Amino acid sequence: MSLHVLVADDEPVSRTVVGAMLKKAGYIVHFANDGDQAWSQLNGENPPAIALLDWEMPGLAGPEVVSRIRGRQVPTPTYVILLTSRDSSADIVAGLKAGADDYVTKPADQDELIARVNVGARVVQLQSALAERVRSLEEALANVKALQTLLPMCAYCKAIRNDQNYWEKVETYFHDHSGVSFSHSYCPICYERFVKPQLEALEDVSQAAQKQKRK
Amino acid sequence: MSEPVLDATVLDTLRQLTPPGEPDVLAEVLELFLQEAPRRIEKLIAAWAANDAAELYKTAHSLKGSAGNIGAQPLFRVCSQLDGKGRAGDLTHVKPLVETLAAEYARVEAAIRLILKG
Repeated sequence: MSLHVLVADDEPVSRTVVGAMLKKAGYIVHFANDGDQAWSQLNGENPPAIALLDWEMPGLAGPEVVSRIRGRQVPTPTYVILLTSRDSSADIVAGLKAGADDYVTKPADQDELIARVNVGARVVQLQSALAERVRSLEEALANVKALQTLLPMCAYCKAIRNDQNYWEKVETYFHDHSGVSFSHSYCPICYERFVKPQLEALEDVSQAAQKQKRK
Repeated sequence: MSEPVLDATVLDTLRQLTPPGEPDVLAEVLELFLQEAPRRIEKLIAAWAANDAAELYKTAHSLKGSAGNIGAQPLFRVCSQLDGKGRAGDLTHVKPLVETLAAEYARVEAAIRLILKG
């Protein structure tokens, strides 16, 4: 599956070159001409998974856009690479502190840019796999919680009334809600009370049958 | 040996970015450059005339970015010097740099027109 990448840069030459490099590497590319456009795309429904943001743009500058992205509470945060033609380490540190995951200096070297975006793609895929796992665990946990709440149970036959108002056997209910399976056995008291008399009755029946044969 | 106006390696890289059956990326980028650069140079000269270091920095900086992307190394270097001056707020000896910038741009423009005609 191809990932969506946003390229935000006010400078058309650089935007076009970076976009063409990403397209060639198989990414689906979206463009923004300034920081405000970038933010509205990244704050919308289904935002691109990876964003390449120019450090200096009209409107919101790259680091400001990053701070806003980091303010969003989402299970799969955008992977942010700052594009900067400054290469002083102070600026790079400032960008990373603002919440960027990585940076690339402009003009971007094709191989380096793609290698760094590929790292971002790996992180994004790991994060979404993890988010999916957390979601399914939360669902399982919710089911377990449902088991802990008050269950209506028939005082005589021990059937349980489920959420849909049907009476189910205990075995069925627990199996559906928690995956528990039952292996049937009997306790010593029930052995004395039910199993033993049944076995004795069977014994009597078979003895009676044998007597009948001999006759 | 004098340095080429446009770096052939960079031009090749841009050419190879063209997806099959689509318009040439190199031509697209060079045309964009010709559209953008004169406007930015005008702004840069105006900023210098107005003693506006911040604006000089901004225009030199974006022109530097464009020049770097098309492999115009000599133009990139003079933009870089102007960018540094603007950033430092030092507007002394800017005139010779602006003259070099104009001369370099003329060379780049001629080289681009040659490529686009080709």
